Amino acid sequence: MTDSLSLYSVKAVLILDNQGDRVYAKYYSAPHVPNLSLFPSVKQEKEFEKRLFKKIHKQESEILIFEDNIVLYKEYMDVVLCLIGPLEENEIILQQAFTAFKDSLDLILDSGIDKKNTQEHYDMVLLAIDETFDNGVILETDPASIASRVTTPPSSEQQMHLDLDKGLMSAWGFAKSKLQERLQQGI
Amino acid sequence: MSTHTYKKFESGDSGDLPDKMTIYQDCMTQFNESPVNAKRCRILISRLLRLLANGEVFPETEATALFFSISKLFQHPNDSLRQAVYLSIKELSGISEDVLMATSSIMKDVQNGSDLVKSNAIRSLSVVLDESTAFSAERMLKSAVVSKNPTISSASLVTSYHLLPISENTVKRFSNETQEAVVDLKPFPQQDIIGDYYPNSTFITQYHALGLLYQLKKNDKMSLLKLVRQFADSNNLKNQLAKVQLIKIVNELVQRDPQLFPQFQGLLYHWLSNKYESVQIEVTKVITSFAATNQRLVSPELFAVAVQTLQSLLTVPRVTTKFAALRILNRLSMVSPDKILICNPELESLINDSNRNVSTYAITILLKTGTEKNISSLISTITKFIHEVSDDFKIIIIDAVRTLSLNFPQEWKAILNFLIDVLKNGEGGFKFKNNIVEALIDIVSFVPQSKELALENLCDFIEDCEFNEILVRILHLLGKEGPFTSNPSLYVRHIYNRLVLENSIIRSAAVVSLSKFALSKKDTSLRKSIVSLLKRIANDPDDEVRDRAVIALQFIENSNERISEEFIQSKYTYDFQSLESVLSVYMNNNSDSFETPFDVSNVRKITEDEAKALELKRKQDQLHNSRLEAIETCTADGSINNERADAATYAGPSSAEDQSELLASKYADELLSIEEFKPFGKLINSSNVVSLTEPEAEFVVNGVKHILKEHVIFQFNITNTLNDVALDNVAVTCTPEDPDNAILEELFSIPIDRLLPSTEGAVYVAFKKSEEIVMEGFLNNLTFTTKELNPETNEPFEGDEGFEDEYEIDSIFLNAGDYIKNSFVGDFTTVFDELPNEEVAVYNIQENITVQEVIDKIIVNTSCLPLENTQFAQSESNSHILKLFGKSALTGVKIALIVRIVKSSKGVALKAQGKSENATLCADLINSII
Repeated sequence: MTDSLSLYSVKAVLILDNQGDRVYAKYYSAPHVPNLSLFPSVKQEKEFEKRLFKKIHKQESEILIFEDNIVLYKEYMDVVLCLIGPLEENEIILQQAFTAFKDSLDLILDSGIDKKNTQEHYDMVLLAIDETFDNGVILETDPASIASRVTTPPSSEQQMHLDLDKGLMSAWGFAKSKLQERLQQGI
Repeated sequence: MSTHTYKKFESGDSGDLPDKMTIYQDCMTQFNESPVNAKRCRILISRLLRLLANGEVFPETEATALFFSISKLFQHPNDSLRQAVYLSIKELSGISEDVLMATSSIMKDVQNGSDLVKSNAIRSLSVVLDESTAFSAERMLKSAVVSKNPTISSASLVTSYHLLPISENTVKRFSNETQEAVVDLKPFPQQDIIGDYYPNSTFITQYHALGLLYQLKKNDKMSLLKLVRQFADSNNLKNQLAKVQLIKIVNELVQRDPQLFPQFQGLLYHWLSNKYESVQIEVTKVITSFAATNQRLVSPELFAVAVQTLQSLLTVPRVTTKFAALRILNRLSMVSPDKILICNPELESLINDSNRNVSTYAITILLKTGTEKNISSLISTITKFIHEVSDDFKIIIIDAVRTLSLNFPQEWKAILNFLIDVLKNGEGGFKFKNNIVEALIDIVSFVPQSKELALENLCDFIEDCEFNEILVRILHLLGKEGPFTSNPSLYVRHIYNRLVLENSIIRSAAVVSLSKFALSKKDTSLRKSIVSLLKRIANDPDDEVRDRAVIALQFIENSNERISEEFIQSKYTYDFQSLESVLSVYMNNNSDSFETPFDVSNVRKITEDEAKALELKRKQDQLHNSRLEAIETCTADGSINNERADAATYAGPSSAEDQSELLASKYADELLSIEEFKPFGKLINSSNVVSLTEPEAEFVVNGVKHILKEHVIFQFNITNTLNDVALDNVAVTCTPEDPDNAILEELFSIPIDRLLPSTEGAVYVAFKKSEEIVMEGFLNNLTFTTKELNPETNEPFEGDEGFEDEYEIDSIFLNAGDYIKNSFVGDFTTVFDELPNEEVAVYNIQENITVQEVIDKIIVNTSCLPLENTQFAQSESNSHILKLFGKSALTGVKIALIVRIVKSSKGVALKAQGKSENATLCADLINSII
């Protein structure tokens, strides 16, 4: 019973292509607890993904129980997004997390979720996932909050602007800290 | 720089994976360049992460080098690059040993970074810190927890949560701040947003804080209670995940101490009408799973409202919600199908749901809540449905139908017709067909009336069956059941057809099956024709087929009928567990290169009736156990093996059952291996394990009663739960309750010399008894000498004489039930009417006890097998009829009981009617059923 109170409520997040091959996969385990991960090796993970894909491909079910896990998924043109959770977790909580994951991708990938887009903006996809789940803990469920924390890659022109911005910020910060120091000394 | 390399960093990535070595080289050069080109570096990191996510692994030296160069990127102030750097640090931390060197850069960001990267920095701490350095982050984590920015606060709470296993003390120091964070509503900051998004504040920080707080206080019941009270009453929790977490805490509390449930009842009731579906689902889960074990503590109104909530959740359009509600209902349908009857209309409308997972769940639940009235209409509904779904779902449905056949034996005809229809007309693979055949075999063995119809149809089926395994099973079944039907020659023709047309595996199975018909007494001409058939087969091209035919002929033509019967149609099998252990002992003790033949007479034999009884009992127990712990028999994932694994993992009915069986055969083996008991002869029966102390006592004792021909042996299993005291000369003194009329004569007892802490030992007390059934009760006293242990040597201190002590344990009773074994009959009513001697007894129990508890008690006391699914009380009704059947372990005399139970306001009244071939046995058993 104790286990159900754990915050580690997501076991894995997967993005598979339309052949069941991995575009992205992350199997979570608690950082300082040995061996909580679902599978011991990458080979077994990939086999699992193939089996899962066979089960869900072209089946509009949204949710199912697969090999003692709750699986939530959504199939797009040529990718499918999956979230794997433990059997005893509240399905609707998992659904919330899954919605956050898929809707935040929808927000950051301007032209929609597909394989090419995912691969081209791989860093942003990863950042979005990282802002949604932290080692299996659900971090945020509001897609817009997640998307708002995902930085776009620095472009050459923007970089200048950003640096300038940053410079101003740090200058202001420096001034502020100096001022505080002075004030404190004054007191 | 050539245009080629230049372009490499401009275009986005797509298509095939980049080459590992190229990426490594590029990373090494780019990251070490000065000044850092943020854009290129982020693209490279993105590629690197793609490699890692695909399971590529860098050797440790290269990973360390990568890590080192990546940490150089900290000097670049771009936040966009920072985020990518933190991602890669987390990914590489698993491979590289030197993560610690990034600590100072990360700490700097935690303190002075922008609000954006601050949380990324904090979260990466969970991988770079270890036991020795975790404490140094205390101040930073603490100040981050109180941050007004929810992302930063959450990052710190979650990181602390990750760090718990290695530095709980550090985290404990800011438990006050954590508590604050639960109630503090932190809106998402609107000012520093990238892009045009409109974030909503979810206040999810509450969830993280509550999760962490629970871990810090989980061993302190009082403060958990306080915590629930504090956060439940007022409207403190806004986040639905946090609310669900709070309900889980309540669940944990009531599971630990069921007496707390009544004080939460009002709260749970209130939560049932919460606006969040997740909260509703979680509360109904808590109520229903708690009710399964502590029915008396849950008020019927609360339970009814919970079911109504589930009912209304079935009608929402969201698939996940329906799915979740169906899972809970499915669990309930195994425990108390009558309580969820009100959901039937909703369930029926879900049968045609476009989502197959949902419709299959609905059908399996309906099959379980089905009553005698609507079964046939239900079956006709699924007959239409089953051809449209995939194999996996078919298997689940077949399994549900199979349980149905055990529950409603009188409906066999409709069920049988359904199974035959899907067997013949259904498209499907091996697993599917095999499941149907298994279900049919079940019906044939437990519902004798159905035998002929089922066998005939199976004969038709094997004429055109592509699966060897299934063919072999059916041939075996035909051989087993066919000779006893009214027209055996019909089956012979079908079996012979297989011999002509099929491959050698099936031919050999057919030979065995055919030979069994030769012994049929009804038809002597059949015997002749089978002999002539077998003679022809003896020329078969395949060795195995030939051999089997020749052996069969030998036995058939053997004049000794007993031998031929024993080998061709043996009435018993060996108990496999006992056979295995005896065989392994034989192999280990082999000193004369197997000159002494293996003695099979020590192995427990199980007759066919007993085997059936065992099997039925196992199936019943599976149902029974599912009341206690919910099992998910219906997994939409489908494959039958997984389903079993699922059931085993989550309820462990099969494993628990196996364990108790294993335990019984283990005790029996131990007993037989003791020299003193050798002259007593064979063990006839062993009782269940009875506990004689509270499970949390200092010395936990449970007893097993072993019945032998002229002896009784009490086995007391004693566990020493103290951790620094050894017990010497542990013995049990048994005093007859009524010394004047004692019949059993104590012969000797075998004490335990020394029982070390947390070990278990067995004391045996042997009695001599007459061959009759003897019933007696004994007062028991545990006597022993306690000796303190030297912690260094784990031996008692020298010269310590110890204290003699006594410990009173519960009485042990030898009942009539201990002489009874489970047994199975197909047609209880006829057998009951035919048995000659009748006894009737009436009981009044003046306790507040439920009908189900009475039933369970009677089943344990009589050790008979409940038949016709009468072991479950209808929860609403106050009367029940229990049908029991058993056999005397001593003589094999049959006994049948009908117990009528009526519950009134004064207590429970029982009328037990017993019939048996032996009047004394009947009277004895009837007088000690409760």
